[in-house]
Amino acid sequence: MSRIHQLKIGVSGIRGVVGEFLTPNLACAFAQAFGTYVGQGRVVLGRDTRSSGEMLEHAVTCGLLAAGCEVVKVGVAPTPTIQVYVAETRARGGIAITASHNPPEYNALKLFNREGLFFNQYERSELIDLYHQSDFRRATNAEIRHVVLDYDSAPERHLTRVLKHVDLERIRRRRFRVALDGVNGAGSRMSVYFLRDVLDCDLHAISVDPTQPFPREAEPKPEVLDDLRALVNQCHADIAFAQDPDGDRLAVGDERGFILDNDDVLALAVDCALHRHKGPVVVNLTTSAVIDDVARRYECPVYRSPVGEANVVQRMRATGAVIGGEGTNGGIIFPAVHYCRDSYMGMAFLLDRMAETGSTLSALAATLPAYYRRIDKFSYEHGRLGPIMQELETLFPGSQMDRSDGLKLITPDGWLHVRASNTEPVLRLAAEARSAHRLEEIYGQAARAVGRH
Amino acid sequence: MAAEGNLRISQVGLRGIVGPGLTAAQVLDFAAAFGTFLDAPGKVVIGRDPRSSGVMIREGVVAGLLATGHDVIDLGVVSTPVIQHSIGRLDAAGGISIGASHNAAEWNALKFFGARGTYLSSGEAGELLDIYHLKKFDFTPHQSIGRLQRDSAAIDQYLDDLARVFQPGPLKKFRVLVDCCNGVSALLLRRMRERFELDLVLINERLEGKAFAHEPATNRKMVELQLAPLMQHVGADAGFLFDIDSDRVALATETGEAVSEEMVLVILADDFLERGPGKIVIANVSTTGLLEEVAAGHHGHVERVAVGRQATIDALQGFRPEQIAIAGEGTGAVMMPQFRFVYDGIAAMLAILERMERKNITLSQMLASYPRYSILKGQVPLETHRIPEMLFALERAHPEAQKNTIDGLRLDWPGRWAHVRVSQTEPIVRVICEQRGDPPRRLFEETMEIVRSYCA
Repeated sequence: MSRIHQLKIGVSGIRGVVGEFLTPNLACAFAQAFGTYVGQGRVVLGRDTRSSGEMLEHAVTCGLLAAGCEVVKVGVAPTPTIQVYVAETRARGGIAITASHNPPEYNALKLFNREGLFFNQYERSELIDLYHQSDFRRATNAEIRHVVLDYDSAPERHLTRVLKHVDLERIRRRRFRVALDGVNGAGSRMSVYFLRDVLDCDLHAISVDPTQPFPREAEPKPEVLDDLRALVNQCHADIAFAQDPDGDRLAVGDERGFILDNDDVLALAVDCALHRHKGPVVVNLTTSAVIDDVARRYECPVYRSPVGEANVVQRMRATGAVIGGEGTNGGIIFPAVHYCRDSYMGMAFLLDRMAETGSTLSALAATLPAYYRRIDKFSYEHGRLGPIMQELETLFPGSQMDRSDGLKLITPDGWLHVRASNTEPVLRLAAEARSAHRLEEIYGQAARAVGRH
Repeated sequence: MAAEGNLRISQVGLRGIVGPGLTAAQVLDFAAAFGTFLDAPGKVVIGRDPRSSGVMIREGVVAGLLATGHDVIDLGVVSTPVIQHSIGRLDAAGGISIGASHNAAEWNALKFFGARGTYLSSGEAGELLDIYHLKKFDFTPHQSIGRLQRDSAAIDQYLDDLARVFQPGPLKKFRVLVDCCNGVSALLLRRMRERFELDLVLINERLEGKAFAHEPATNRKMVELQLAPLMQHVGADAGFLFDIDSDRVALATETGEAVSEEMVLVILADDFLERGPGKIVIANVSTTGLLEEVAAGHHGHVERVAVGRQATIDALQGFRPEQIAIAGEGTGAVMMPQFRFVYDGIAAMLAILERMERKNITLSQMLASYPRYSILKGQVPLETHRIPEMLFALERAHPEAQKNTIDGLRLDWPGRWAHVRVSQTEPIVRVICEQRGDPPRRLFEETMEIVRSYCA
């Protein structure tokens, strides 16, 4: 049985439970390694609203300054906003202090290169080597640079980019009634400003106080969004949005308070993007086939990548994709804004589409082909995944196979995907089919196989 | 000797050249150790001198303290005495001063203070070091991580207190020239000029992070080079030169004479003993013998301690505050019971001006009232393993002298003394000889010869 690790230093950076495990000392050393790696120049630093964020911000600033970097602090800001800022200001790199959708006791450092992109696997392994060698650059008093504060321009830079891709006036004219659950996260103030002041919506917001703790589970899953559903019914909202603590993920609810499947939200965003500009689409292996159906309407190809934002982005760049994302976790990546998961572009696309068509969100969602999906997690044990993959392959003979991230088996009327999570000690089993019956058949067979190992 | 003093971790704290010596990791570890040493959730007051590396170090200190559950009150760029004062005022559990005082710009250091701004005793400092070395820190769960606050009233509150002890009004008549050496004294003195209307002429008053106008040493040589030549030109009644965090001070007279750094303590000991006869002066064994003569005139007594701030601090604990006239070193660092037993150059400056005013004499007249003592200082690179042998040879060479082995060897004869000790900060043996009247050249040469024969 593998243990739940409360600290993980690896290719995805450093992540752990703050206190005993993720210490300021570790964060400082990691930041100094990062500063050594990117070189003496400007490094952008921002964070989400976790109680440990301020403390870690000081530790990271210390490490960056010690490596001879100039630190540009953007304060509390969504991860995509920080990424756009890195790219626009031509910094050497950036760090976001956020554990994204993980529980509040966790925190982590997300690392960006000079383009504002997640470190690719080569960059990550070089950095990790540097960290382990502890051979950091140590700036002298004469080489130590300043800390610059810029708490204001980051949201403007990001939102200006978003607005280039929608018809602002047509959204404003509709004066949509919008319900928002900001989870008291990094996007709280920016989302209120964007929806109420920029898009002129009639905004009804809950949990938009960044000084308060997360009022619900951090990941915006339908089962934790009861308050948002109640808000929709109470204020008769046209649409509802829920963010995660660092504002990269977006959950969407319709005018009846029904929280849409993330795959369907991504499908609607793909529809919006291709409607404006045709081109390839990239999604991860676990994303629904509904994306293929939508892309087919525009005769655009769909490419798949292993799970993980960095993987999707890498594939998008290689294929020149016009949109991409990860259906399973509510991430919409629209490269015309930036190669990052961006809840703001998601909100803008959906409101713009509703304004353009005059349809309700439920009517828009109804245009999507119906699929039945199921995803579950099983405990991870070392050596468990291999035998499961082998057995599944024999259970579904003749399927099309993809082994780039675990095993995905594709049959004419559905698919099945089993893989190990990158961030948690779990195996994930996902399946999709055109009918409930077929889903139960595929999923049941696979789950029984998993149970046997 | 390793790394030639690039880094020194001792009971006095952490000190080193930033980069090659002092690193971010050590700062984090020390701050976390101090946060573990203090009982959470007590507040901790911090401040720094203007060195560029101070910002990096502050970030690490703040992180370590917040993570161990302490709220941090950052005073920004202030002097060490202001930090100590604010600890008491804000009822904090302790404080950290970031600054390397009289060291060059590439250095930095952390100094630690307990509740009410007191220096840590040797016992407390030892415990802090043990925690640092064990690296077992009490990091708190995320809900009880501390918060950072700022306090911009610190300097004014400190000056209020200073003005209660030293009446600034009568001091307006003096024109005072001050060399701030680009350090924090400039902030305090500018504000004093504004509030108390003192006639202060400041030079090198811009706060600098990368390089100071000159070495921030408070000794006669530096005063002679920097301050003394300007005295008559400015028409100043007194001249003062501060180190970067203004805990030390050196003097120049109205005639442009650079005064020995030993005299700050002598003048103030005289002043405080005059008003409190029979009290005790605490000074180290390397400080001038003029102190004994001055003390004898007021039926006082000099308690000699080992060199270094820690020995003085530890000695203070053995007395009731009202028994002490003053404590200090021949480096221009003095602490007065009237002002919380804190090394404070600004307070020393005011005390000297106040004495000039009360006695209605010039600074040169004041100095002329003391007999002449001549001091000779030398240093020799050390051969560590032969030190006990060397000290024993010196002792045998002078069986008639009175000996004190509290720190190396001090030999005393009527009207003269010799002190041989190992430096705490550099790999050298220091030799100091002093005599009432002319310099003790023969004693000095003989002593140096014996020392040299045991060194590299």
